[in-house]
Amino acid sequence: MPSTISRRNLLGGAMAGAAALPFLGGRRAGAATPGVLTFGLSSYPPSFLPWNQAGTAAGTVKLLIHRGLLGYDKNGILRGELAENWAADGPKAWVFKLREAKFHDGKPVTSADVKWTIEQVAAETSTAYFRGQFRTIASVETPDARTVRLVMKEPAVTVPEWFAHYNMPILPVNSDPEGKVGAGPFMLKERERGVSITLEAFSGYYKPGLPKLKGISIVAYPDENLRVAALDAGNVDLIEYVPWQSMAAIEGNAGLALDAVDGPFMYLTFNGSKPPFNNPKVRKAVAHAIKREDVLAAAFFGRGAPLAHLPIDKSSPFFNAGLENGWAYDPELSKKLLAEAGLSGGVTCALLSTAQYGMHKDTAEICQQHLAAVGIMAELNLPDWSTRIQLGNRGQYDLAVMGTSADSNDPDGLSNVIDGSLPPAFSRSFGLKIPAMEEKLSAGRSEFDPARRKAIYQEMETIAIDQVPIVGLSWRNQGYAMKKAVKGFKNMPGQLTFYSGLTLEETELG
Amino acid sequence: MALYIARRTGIALLLIWIVATLVFMVLHIVPGDPAELLLSLGGTAPDPAIVADLRRQLGLDQPISTQYFTYLAGLLQGDLGRSLQDGHSVSEEVALRLPRTLELIVVAVLLASATGIPLGTLAALRVGSRLDGLLSVAAGIALSVPVFVIGTLAVLVFAQKLRLVPAGGYTPFLADPVRHLTLVLMPSCTMALSLWAVILRITRSSVLEVLSRDFVRAVRAKGVAPRRIVMSHVLRNALIPVITVIGLHAGTLLGSTVLIEFVFNWPGLSGYLVRAVEARDYPEVVGIILVISFLFIFLNLLIDLLYAVLDPRVRHAA
Repeated sequence: MPSTISRRNLLGGAMAGAAALPFLGGRRAGAATPGVLTFGLSSYPPSFLPWNQAGTAAGTVKLLIHRGLLGYDKNGILRGELAENWAADGPKAWVFKLREAKFHDGKPVTSADVKWTIEQVAAETSTAYFRGQFRTIASVETPDARTVRLVMKEPAVTVPEWFAHYNMPILPVNSDPEGKVGAGPFMLKERERGVSITLEAFSGYYKPGLPKLKGISIVAYPDENLRVAALDAGNVDLIEYVPWQSMAAIEGNAGLALDAVDGPFMYLTFNGSKPPFNNPKVRKAVAHAIKREDVLAAAFFGRGAPLAHLPIDKSSPFFNAGLENGWAYDPELSKKLLAEAGLSGGVTCALLSTAQYGMHKDTAEICQQHLAAVGIMAELNLPDWSTRIQLGNRGQYDLAVMGTSADSNDPDGLSNVIDGSLPPAFSRSFGLKIPAMEEKLSAGRSEFDPARRKAIYQEMETIAIDQVPIVGLSWRNQGYAMKKAVKGFKNMPGQLTFYSGLTLEETELG
Repeated sequence: MALYIARRTGIALLLIWIVATLVFMVLHIVPGDPAELLLSLGGTAPDPAIVADLRRQLGLDQPISTQYFTYLAGLLQGDLGRSLQDGHSVSEEVALRLPRTLELIVVAVLLASATGIPLGTLAALRVGSRLDGLLSVAAGIALSVPVFVIGTLAVLVFAQKLRLVPAGGYTPFLADPVRHLTLVLMPSCTMALSLWAVILRITRSSVLEVLSRDFVRAVRAKGVAPRRIVMSHVLRNALIPVITVIGLHAGTLLGSTVLIEFVFNWPGLSGYLVRAVEARDYPEVVGIILVISFLFIFLNLLIDLLYAVLDPRVRHAA
C-alpha cells in the first residue's frame, strides 16, 4: 500500500520532533569530557589584567594559568613555585633562586622575566595591586639567569608573601597586557566573555606528573542557587561560594562533599574624623554592644564563628588567646562607656551597608538592633555596592558594615583593614589614626625575628582592643562543594581560602 | 505610507538620541566610580593614586561634556565604545548577546501564541463548559505566580529531580544544536507562561465578542461550515487585539528576561545590562539601553505595519 504524507502530517511530525529534540539531550545534561573538571565560578572575571585586583574569581583563574615566585601548600605554608628557594640577604635584601620552569610558549622562566615583571608592576602608570609595595624596591639585580636579588629601601619581612599573592604572577618579558601566556599548570584554550573559560593541561609544567586533570572548563554561575542546582544536577563538578543556606543540604547529599573554612570576616568601621566615633570610649561601647551569635545566625545560618577581637585566626602563630574575648558582648559595659563619654542620653548615627548583598544587609540590621538596646540609634543607609564604596572612601557615614579577607594569614595582611596611616579607603575606618598601633604595624613589618615579631603583634592587638580601630563581628564560612568523585581539591585555611585554586593542579576526577 | 514610515523613523531616531543623552548624564550623576569599583573587587581597598591613574587611562578624568561628545562622535561612526572593565568592544558584545535575548523572547512568544490562541478560541467556543473553567483557573495561576518562582521550580523539578535538562547555561547552536535547544527550553517556557495566560484570555473574550456580531450570523445563515466560519471570519477579526497585546507584552518580556537570564544563567543582553550598571561601565550601559530603545521603537513600528496588513481600513487610512 503506497504511503501518503499530507502537509498536515508532515508539519505535525516536524513539530513533535522539534519538541522532543531537547529531551534527547537530557542524559547529556550531566555528561562531561573524561578528565576535564567543570568548575562553577561565582562570577566571570571582569578583567584579565594579571597584576590588577579584579576579584577572587579572577584570582582563581590566575592561579590556574600563572605561577608566582612563591605560593602556599594545602596547609597554608609558604612554598617555592617558580623560585626553588628564597632567603633574606641582610635586613634590606632578598634573594630568590629560580627553578627550571617553562612558560606555555616553551620559553624558559629566567631572572630577566622576573625583573621585567617587577618593573611593570612598579611603573609610574601601573594600576597593579602591589604597585605601592613594589615602589619600595630600590633595585632588582639579576646576577645570572636563575638568581634574582631585590634590594629594598626599607627592611620588609613580608616580601615573600607579596610574591605568593595571586595578583603577582611572573610573566615573560614583553608579555601581552592580559598575560595569556603563563607558567601555571593550565593553558588558556578559549574563553567566551561573561560565560566560560576553557583551560587545558600544560604538559611542560615544572611539577612532574601535574596537573592531574586534562583540562578545566570554567562556567560562571552568578546566581548562587543555580550554582548549587547545577552541582546537584551533575552539570558541574565543583563550585565556589557555596551559599550558607545550602550547606546543610550539601552535607546531607551522599554524592556531594562540602569543604568550608572560616576565612573572610565581617566587621564595623568608624568615621573617626568627627563625633561621636572619634572617641575611643564610644567605639568600645559599640564593640561590647553586639551579640555576635545573632549576626552569625541571621546572616550566615550559623556558619562561621564569633569574632570579638582582631581577625587573627586561632591557627595563626600570632593568635593571642588572652585577647580572644577582648570585645565580648556586655551591654551594661557599653552603657557605662557611653555615660563616661558624656552620652548617657543616647547617640544617633548613620549606619552604612549595602542592600546588594544579603549578608551585609542582615549584619547591619542585627547591629542596628543591638546598638539601639544600649542607646545608639543607628539609621540604616543601604545603597548599592558601588555607591557604598564611594561613600566609604569619602567618609560619608558614621558607622559602616564591611566584609573582606586579609591578603595573607600574616598579621601584616590586616594593614588594609586597620592601618590608619594608609590613604582613606572603604575597607578601614575613615580619618581614624591610632599612632601607637600603626607604629607596631610598621615595626612588625620590618622585624625578622619570629619571637620578637609575635610580641610586637601582641602589643599591637592589645592597643587595638583598647582603641578599637574596627569592631570584629564574625568569621564567615567560605565553602567549596564538589562531587565525591573530585579528589585532591582542598579549601585552604583562613585568609588563604581564595588561594584554593592552587590545589587544582593536584585535583583529579575519580 | 512611505511618508508615514519616514516620519515615524525620524521621531524614533530623535527619541533614541534623547534616551542616550539622558542615560549618559544620569549615569555620571549617580554615585559610584567605575575605576574605584574595578580596583575594589574582592573587598580590597586600592591606593587612591592607582585609582587616579586608572581614571586617567580610561578618560574618566575628562569633563563630562568632553566624554559625551567623544561618545557621540563614536556613535555616529557606529561605535558604541569600549568596556571600561576590559576594553572589549560594546558593539561586538551587544551583537553577540542581543540575538540570545531575542531568541528567548521569540521562542516564548511562539510557544505562548501557538498554545494560547487555539485554547482561547476553544474556551470561547465552549463558553461556560468545564474546559473553559479549567483554562480560566490555569490562566489565573500562570498570571499570579512570579516568573522567578516558576523558573526556580522548573530548575528544581526538571533539572535537579528529573534530570531531564541542565540546570541552566548556554551553548551556541552551531556548537551543539541539541544542547542549545535543551537549554533554551526551560527559560522560554517559563517566560511564555504568563504571556500564554494573557493571550488565552484576550483571545477568548475577543472571539466571544466577534461571534456575537451580525456578519457571523449572516455567514452562518448562508450555510458556511462552522470550522470555516471560525478560521476565516471570526479569528481573522478577533486576532487584531490579540496581536496588539502580543506586541505590547513582547516589549515587557524584555524586562522579564533580566530575571530569566539570571535564574537560568542565560548570557543575554539583560544580564549584561545589570552587570554593566553594577560596575558603572558607562559605555556598556548607554550602548545596551540605546539598542533596547531601538528595539522597542522598532517593535511598535512593526505592530503598526502588521495592523495595516491585517486590516485594510488601517492601510487605507495611512
